Amino acid sequence: MMRERRVLSPYTKSVLHYIALTIVSVIWLIPVYAMIINGFKSNLEVASSPVLVPPSHPTLSPYMAVAHVLETPIINSLIVAVIASLLSTILGSMGAYFFYVLSNSYFRGSGMLSNFLFSLIALGTFIPYEATLIPLTRFIVDINLLNSYPGLIVSMLIFYIPTAALLMSLFVTVVPKSLIEAARLDGAGDVKIFFKVILPLVIPGFISTLIFIIIESWNNFFLPLVLTTTPSMRLVPVAVEAYTGGYGTLYNETFAVATLASLIPLIIFIFLGRYFIRGLVALGGAGKGV
Amino acid sequence: MVEISAKSVYKIFSKKKGEVYALKDINLTIESGEKFGILGPSGAGKTTFMRIIAGLEAPTKGELLFDEKVVARNGKVIVGPESRNIGMVFQNWSLYPNMTAFDNIAFPLTNMKISKSEMRQKVEEVAKVLEISSVLEHYPRELSGGQQQRVALARAIVKSPSVLLLDEPFSNLDARIRDSARALVRDIAEKLRLTVIVVSHDPADIFSISNRVGVIFQGELVQVGKPEEIYNSPKSFHVARLIGEINELKGKVIEEDGKNILSIGNLAIPISGGYRGEVKVGIRPENLRLEEEPREEGWVEAGKVRVKITTYEGGHFKVTLTPLGDDQEIIVFMDKIPKEEEMKLFVRPSKIMFFKY
Repeated sequence: MMRERRVLSPYTKSVLHYIALTIVSVIWLIPVYAMIINGFKSNLEVASSPVLVPPSHPTLSPYMAVAHVLETPIINSLIVAVIASLLSTILGSMGAYFFYVLSNSYFRGSGMLSNFLFSLIALGTFIPYEATLIPLTRFIVDINLLNSYPGLIVSMLIFYIPTAALLMSLFVTVVPKSLIEAARLDGAGDVKIFFKVILPLVIPGFISTLIFIIIESWNNFFLPLVLTTTPSMRLVPVAVEAYTGGYGTLYNETFAVATLASLIPLIIFIFLGRYFIRGLVALGGAGKGV
Repeated sequence: MVEISAKSVYKIFSKKKGEVYALKDINLTIESGEKFGILGPSGAGKTTFMRIIAGLEAPTKGELLFDEKVVARNGKVIVGPESRNIGMVFQNWSLYPNMTAFDNIAFPLTNMKISKSEMRQKVEEVAKVLEISSVLEHYPRELSGGQQQRVALARAIVKSPSVLLLDEPFSNLDARIRDSARALVRDIAEKLRLTVIVVSHDPADIFSISNRVGVIFQGELVQVGKPEEIYNSPKSFHVARLIGEINELKGKVIEEDGKNILSIGNLAIPISGGYRGEVKVGIRPENLRLEEEPREEGWVEAGKVRVKITTYEGGHFKVTLTPLGDDQEIIVFMDKIPKEEEMKLFVRPSKIMFFKY
């Protein structure tokens, strides 16, 4: 005798799925919601009403008041984050290609060398910024780049090139080895193989990595905190932390600053998000290159 | 064109369990302009050998020479793959998926110093010969298997390589278009007077393209010769089976009235030659016939056999027989289904191959 099993109808199942998804999304969105609505409250209301209650008389004045405060930091952040993430993603991708070629090379011990270097880089990715505070600062001071764009960019490259190499390795290794061999037999050098054959095939992965690193570098708080000395060089996260209003903490304005600061990564994600997802999908489907 | 010679080439892979010999002491010279076939079962080392020729692997020991110039020696590649001027068609064709057929074919030319117009002219020339002019603007994924293979071939020959390597080039094609693809490759190679090396486990590829064959078994080059030579007088039973269908039979040679008779179960075949006692013989199906089929001179009656099963295969019937009182299986091909269950079997004694027991 078969035991009777209760089977959920497909309809009930999908309803349950959506309920679960909704709960998770709500939990994730509560802080964002609080940040946005509190920016629309007056200074009095933000202090007197509960944090999750929407404003009774919404006002734009906090946003107006802080807009100019973020102007310079946003420009600084854009310069640093865009240059640092583009450079680190390109160099990291080249690194990933190098490791892929090295691990497939016929030279004796090249596989071991590749593994060793790769582990070293992976380790580099997981070192906390704080642990490198003194040597990093000394290094940046020694090369005379403290409190400058190049200094910030160099310090970010140190951390994000390994991250990009690690992420891009996942995508590059999906490209069949025989394509590289074919290109080599066709007389192409490594630089050409990378730009003409590998890079076009890993574009979704490249964009995913780029977005990830833009957002990481945009949100990085520690490096700009220790490597900048003047307010004019501040990046967005430091500016947000430093903002307390004129003569005391104005919570509504702090919330407004935080909202504005989140806008840029949000816009990037909205425009490039589908590539991000596509990159991850390509990875899961073991992207058939041939 | 180039003459390629391998001098005691070894390829040894170090695995956890010890060393694996992929190639053992290969000595071979492939003449300039020759069409050379490398035949072997999968895992025999034939692809490894081809990759060493291409420069994608280095021989662990030994030397590889192109026109008497050392290109690789003792684990070192001296002339890299990009400088050997090799055209290669990979088993899966390895077309660049991000480029059109035109760009795929033009890719080797972009690495040479030639003008855009000359490049276009060369690509169009090759495309015309291979009849793919109409699909040059398509991406590989939009092409049929046969077209993809032609594009891969075009990419390999467009730079006028000194040697064309073909790695199981037809195994990914439908049986239907395989023969025309083979004919095409042979004609192109003939027309361009290329040195061709084709690696395959399928004797049909070898017969259709090459005029000399090397058989590789477990990393060793066991026999080199013309295809028909290897077909008719293989050095071992393994080689015989690799290059075509063959019946492997155990029998006994006895003397009767001053004549040597090979006896397999109830079958008795008069033979010449000094074999005695227990023997292992190989008889190709075309040298066996059932009584219904027409026969010329040179066929002798061997005795009665029982028909076990008949199947249809590639245009004719494949009949499995057994001698009476013996359970060894014998395969013959026929144009029609055998009528009776017990029939007389005829054989061409001169074509029987004897192997070491």
